Parts: sequence; structure tokens; C-alpha cells
Amino acid sequence: MLTDNQISMIIEAALGTKADFAEVFIEDRSSSSVGLLNNKVTSAFSGVDTGIGIRVMSGTNSVYVYSNDFDFDSLIKMAKEASSVVNSGEGAAMELMSKLKRYTPDYIISNALLKQKKDYIDFLKKAGDFASNFDPMITQTAASLSAGKRIIRVVNSRGVNIEEEQNRIRFSVQAVATKDGEKQTGRIAPGTMRGYEFVDEFPIIEETQKCCESAIRMASCGYAPSGKMPVVIGNGFGGVIFHEACGHALEATSVGIKASCFTDKIGKQIASPIVSARDNARIEGEWGSYHYDDEGNESSDLQLIKNGICTNYLVDELGSRRMGMKPTGCSRRQDYSYAPTSRMSNTYIENGDEDPKDIIANTEYGLYAANMGGGSVDTATGEFNFAVNEGYMIRNGKVCEPVRGATLIGKGSEVLMNIDHVGNDLKHAAGVCGSQSGSVPTNVGQPTIRVSSILVGGRDS
Amino acid sequence: MNINLAKEFMKKLIDRAPSYGFDDAESCFTQDVSMSLHVLNGEVSSYENSSEQGVAFRGKINGRMGIANTTKFDDASVEYLLSEAKNNASIIDDDDEEFIYCDENNKVLKHIQLSGNYDKNTYDSFSKVGLSLERAILDSDSKIVAVDYLSISCGQGPMLTLNSKGLDSYKDGDYISVFAEARAEVDGVVKTAGHFWFGNDIDKFNEEDFVKVLNKKLLSKFGASSVKSGTYDIILGNEAFISLLSTYFGVFSSYSMQKGLSLLAGKEGETIASDKLTIKEVPMYEKALIKVPFDSEGVLTQEKAIIDSGVFNTALYNLKTAHKAGCASTGNGFRSSYASSVSISFTNLVVMSGSKTFDELCETVGTGLYITDLNGLHAGVNTISGDFSLFCEGFYIENGKIVRPVEQITIADNFFEVIKKVSDVGNDVISYPDGAGEMFSPSLIIKNVSVSGEE
Repeated sequence: MLTDNQISMIIEAALGTKADFAEVFIEDRSSSSVGLLNNKVTSAFSGVDTGIGIRVMSGTNSVYVYSNDFDFDSLIKMAKEASSVVNSGEGAAMELMSKLKRYTPDYIISNALLKQKKDYIDFLKKAGDFASNFDPMITQTAASLSAGKRIIRVVNSRGVNIEEEQNRIRFSVQAVATKDGEKQTGRIAPGTMRGYEFVDEFPIIEETQKCCESAIRMASCGYAPSGKMPVVIGNGFGGVIFHEACGHALEATSVGIKASCFTDKIGKQIASPIVSARDNARIEGEWGSYHYDDEGNESSDLQLIKNGICTNYLVDELGSRRMGMKPTGCSRRQDYSYAPTSRMSNTYIENGDEDPKDIIANTEYGLYAANMGGGSVDTATGEFNFAVNEGYMIRNGKVCEPVRGATLIGKGSEVLMNIDHVGNDLKHAAGVCGSQSGSVPTNVGQPTIRVSSILVGGRDS
Repeated sequence: MNINLAKEFMKKLIDRAPSYGFDDAESCFTQDVSMSLHVLNGEVSSYENSSEQGVAFRGKINGRMGIANTTKFDDASVEYLLSEAKNNASIIDDDDEEFIYCDENNKVLKHIQLSGNYDKNTYDSFSKVGLSLERAILDSDSKIVAVDYLSISCGQGPMLTLNSKGLDSYKDGDYISVFAEARAEVDGVVKTAGHFWFGNDIDKFNEEDFVKVLNKKLLSKFGASSVKSGTYDIILGNEAFISLLSTYFGVFSSYSMQKGLSLLAGKEGETIASDKLTIKEVPMYEKALIKVPFDSEGVLTQEKAIIDSGVFNTALYNLKTAHKAGCASTGNGFRSSYASSVSISFTNLVVMSGSKTFDELCETVGTGLYITDLNGLHAGVNTISGDFSLFCEGFYIENGKIVRPVEQITIADNFFEVIKKVSDVGNDVISYPDGAGEMFSPSLIIKNVSVSGEE
């Protein structure tokens, strides 16, 4: 491994004479995972990966080089090469490296990587056994568990010097129900930054049952109708709509180059007055949390929207240079092979004061999207699309027959303004968000909400 | 690390494997050198340069395969890989046997597809191309207000596989890709469009052609409105069909079939699609930039029809699934890098073209939709049942001509139905890198597709 002195020398070489900022990012990862299909272990994996990224900036120009060869001379050469393509700028003096600030989570009781893979398998087999015996309609099961540790070190020319250990576990259980050749899946995929105690405490049987029931209902039901209608979106993963349709458009990645539909909207109303939303990376043990971001800044609990008014953007170092705003501690990357950029952490719509039951009761006709799938958005136009994994028709204020195959489409700005009910049952759910700096763990979340009108793309049978 | 040092490390792994109880052993090494450059607002906004390498070990004990990988090439890593792989093999309880293989007649496999142009890929040449391209896109029309994303990337790197049965396979190749996404605005309405180029010689990048296509894709979107919900005949554009086929490719994988995850299980030899549809896998396809003579398991690839005039000719097999099915591997066991395990993929997948031009397809449709882009393919599809409901963009066709763009619509159907409803195949073939090669497709007419739009 590199000494502090060597790291300083790399930063100095990268800074050269014209760059005003240079940064070294060192990452050390180890992971262990297993996968089961129909309750047989079909994959077991172990791996380690280390690498180093060097970033150089001059104004809004940025150069990023990375390698997993830690040979010091090669790294100096790489740093000089990075510096050589910075062809304008005044340069900056290098500040003395601060004393290392180290963050290690103190709340973890049981380290998942110290467990045996057999423990993972025993846990997943409980779900698989239950699901395969639950109902003859359940014809396949799949389950996996992956545990990983990531130690990051960030040192830059402004003297920042931090190290953080991040431990994450994610597992999934999937049940496939078959009826008349039709196959539908029910799935859960919780994730955490807590220790293995999260797995031990998880109500796996209860949640697997829900997953089976959902698959069976979806395999047995008709298609969703088409057309504009009120849509009640369930709590938890329902927050994916806010994540995609609003969260991404508040990132400096798009706002900083004026490519977002929310450019220049601070202080302006972008959502219905009953909507407040946050991006909070500081919730202890949550899947999307972290203490330091991948630029070495302390993470934050950021109010994005307060009573419908846009209050903050998610700003990283590059975004801060483009926008003239301070970084908010949200710069993230999948691993050392990506330069970091502004990303979400745990993003959610805050609780309102309505009972979710009343929201349904107040809806004469519409769709209840109990469980959302993924989706995507064009941040420039705000156009989004989302799959509904588990849907029901609402008639006369009651949840009625299940429907499958629905997709919700619309424009983020319009949907935010059309939220007319916000429940009091906020829940978070784990996901993986893909963007310019790769895939990062994020939580989405919301209470039950209603949007007065969304286009439901279904199929009239 | 040079390749000879890697080879030494790999040999050490394979030599030491028997002492850990492995009956067969294999090691795979990959090295990736890549560079990319982004242009924004008249300057190079970011530049990336990288070199990455890693090694994987897999070995068989009592018929079970254990795997592990690392990016560290020291003696401790040899012990780490062997002990982790042994431990991983011990907990596998899948009944399907895996294989480490070497074709007696093809022990040494070598495929070097280096263009000889890689040295031209420099910061200077890429920045020149990128800056000029951004300018040309902006100059092509005053309605285009920004190029939000413009990247030029290239990569090169070998994959070396050695095993205890004597296999010594080596491949190397290089590529360049250019991607740009532009934004235009008319009376407050914003539209975006992207375009992609793929090749191995930066001098062959044609800026004029690129700008022309991107400009047309973008500006033709203005004036869009929705359509009434209903059932339409559609032209599924070449790009759109490639994206759909790529999403559903797994249904042709023998692995999915054997695990009960493909509705095509047991249907080899049966008619599953329109007789207008033929999909072939052509590993050495002359029009493909990437040729693939052998797979990652050391099996020679072979040309074959997957769907032949509507009949499901064969699924794709690797050594493991072929053994289970009692047939030979079709040469479809691939890994994309040392860090991935061997799974089933394709070389060059070719949807055979028909005789009609795109204009003739429009005339055949008469009244209907031309779908250019399908969005949300990672979410709005059920890869098992085949159902999909996707947000899409395209044009309205009336009297055999494109009359206006459409927006805010979804199409919903089922992949297995779509391939049955192909009524005509065009000759406007394009290709896109995918799998271990490329995917080629023309535009197709699909009858009776459910479209959601306005009431």
C-alpha cells in the first residue's frame, strides 16, 4: 500500500502547474455472495478488488485516471499524464495533508463477512422451503445474498484526508407463480448498512409469504386498463417515482449544465404544497447512507422540497464550480473506476397527516399501485415511465380486483404538482441507482400518496 | 503487469490446485486499457484514462465448481483464490455438473483482432473530434440549444485462459465509440435525442453523417401529441427491435429453459414465430466489426439459425447446459471479463432482412404507428411471461406516410406474441454492440399492438 508521503507526491504530480485541485481516491473491496435457484445453491462467490483513482480539476475541466496497479512509479506517471492534459488555469498551492479522520461504523454487532456462506444459505433456504411448499402455483424460487465491505480513502490538495469503512448486505427472494402458462414474479430485496443482525431479525417467512401471494394474484388476474386516472401509490418502493422524476433532476449533474427541468427553481414552487422531501445520507444503518462522500465531504440531511418549494440541489465539487453553490456531501461513485458526481442517498417524501385508508376511501375510481417496479426519466424533459409490479383497481373507495402489466408515464413536474394526498406511513426501500458514476446503493421512500391524474399504460384485454 | 507475468501467476495457480483437492482447474486473466473524453460547452469537460486487470480461478472438486477472483497478483493471492474457491465449491449443491474443457484438436486458440489504429486514440485526436462534433451539432440548427452529453471512448485488452486440460486461449481486440445527446427547444417545449457510433478507426468517424442522423432524430420530435388509445399496426423501428430483442434474449438461453424461466422450454422444432422471421447467430459475420471464432470455455463457435422462418431451431448452450440436455455445446459460453462467471451469450445475432424499404413498410401499414424508441426496458417488462408495457416515442402513419410525431404513449404486448405477429420485414438494417458481438436488425411490421394514449 502507499504511504502518506507517496500519496502526497502523487497529488503534487497531478496538480502540476495549472490545475487548481487534485484528489486521490483509494478503494479496497471484498465481497462474498451466494445464489440459489429452486433452493439449490447454484453460485458461491468470493472476491477482492482494490484500485486507485486520481482526479485533477481546473475550473470546470476535470481529468480522471484510474488503475488497480499500485506501483508507485506507474502512479506518478499516470498523475503527470493527467496533469499534462490540463492546458489552462492558474494552478493552486498544495495544502498540508490533515491528520487522518477515520470513520468506522460503531453500531454493527455482527460482521457479515465473518459469517460462513453456510449461514447465508441456511437463511435463504428458509425462504425457499416456505415458498416452494406454500402453494402448487409457486413453480420456481430464486434467492441470493451478498455481503460486501468497502474501505475508501480520500486525500486531496486542500488537505482533506479521510477514511471510511462501509459494510453493506443485500438479499433477495423471488417467487414465480404459474397459471395456464402465465408466469408472474413476486420479489423482495431488502438492503442494509447494519451488520448481519439485520438478516437475523428479518421476518423472512412473513415477507416471503407476501411475495408468494403477490405472485399468485398477479398470475391470476387480468390486464390493467389504459387511460388517465387517479393513482394511489403505495409507501416504500413507491418512492421510486420521486427518485426518478424529481431526484435526478435536482442533481448538479443535470442542473449544473442547465439540462434539468428544475434549473433555476430554488425558491420556486415545483410541487404541490403538501409535498416536502429530503435526501438524508445520515440515517444510521440505512442502505443508502454514508458518513463521508466519495470526495471526502461529510454527508448531509438535505431538504430538497419544503411545502412544494424547491430548497436545495444535490451538489458535488464539479457541480459547485458550475453552479456557484457549495457542495452538499452527495458526491458518489460505484467504485474507483468512476469519477464521482452528485448522487442521491436515502431520498424520500416526508410524512403527511392522512391515514392511507382514507386516501383509498376518498378515491372513487383509479389504480392502486401497491408495489412499484423500476423506471427511468429524461431529466431534460421530465418525462418518466414506471412499471407497476402489483396493482389493483379502486372502485367506490375500495381496493378491488388485482391487475397486471400497468406502466405509469408522465412528466415529473406535472406529477409533483398533482399530488393531492399524502399519507402518514413513510417507509424506505432499498434500490440500486444507475447514473454517470455507475451504480450506487440508494433508498427510495415515501408514505402512501395519491396523484390526481396519471396516464396508465395498460392493455385492455 | 505484462501478459507473461500474468501467465506465470496463472500457471502457479493451476499447478497448486491439486494440492487443494481440485480435480480440474482453470484461470482467466483480463486486462482493460481504456480512455474516454467528454466535451461540454466548447471545452473538454472530462478526460479518463485507465488500466485494470484481474484474475479469476475456478476449479472442480467432486464435480462441483468453486470460483474466486482478485486484482492482486502476489503469493498470498494464490492461497486466497485456491482456498476461497475450495470453500465455495463445497457449498454448491446444484445437481448440474460444470466442466473445464479443452478440445483435443484445438488446444491453442488465438484470435487477435487489433485494428492497428489504436495509437491514433489520443487526447489530442479525441478532443479535436469531440469539439468539432459539438460545434457541428449546434450549428446544424438554431433550435438545438445544447449538447448535454458527448463522449468518445476507446478500449483494448486481452483475455487469456489456461486450464489443467491443456487449453491456452487468447483473444484481443479494440473499439471506439462516440455518443452524443443533444437538446433542442421550440416555444418552451424541450426535446432530447441521442446517437451512437461504433468502430475501430477514429479516422472513419463521419461527422457529417452523424450530425445528420442526430439532427433528424431530434428535430422530428417537435409538434408531437398523443394518440387515442386503441389497437394499432406498428412498424417497430430497427433500433427499437434491437432493444426489445436484447431484453428478451434470455428466452433463447438453454439455462433459462432448464431452470423453468423461459416459456420456450421444450419447444425446439416447433413454430414459435411468424414465417417472416429468421434470426441467426453468425459468429464470423462479414458485416460485424467483432468476429468471435471461439467462446470463453474453449469451444469453437458455429453459425446457426435460432429461429428459421418461424421455427425455433435451437436454443443456445454452453458446456453445462448441453451436458444436461444431452447435446453438444453450441459455443455460447461466455464471460465478459475475469470477474464474471461463464454464462450464455451470443456472438453476432442477425435478424435476417426482408426486401421492403422503410417507405414501403409505411405504405404497407397504411394507418398506424412507427415506434422509434422503447423506454424503461429494465423495468416495464416481464422476461418470463413476455408481457411488456413500455413508454415509447415515434410517429403517426396515415395513408402510408409519416405525418407527425407522437409522445406520451405506451405500447403493451407480449414478446412471444410480437414475434408471431411480424407481418413484414424491412431491409433497413442497423447494428449495435451487444452480447459478445453485435446485434443486427431491420425494422419490422407488427400487427395489432395495444397502445395507450389519450382518451
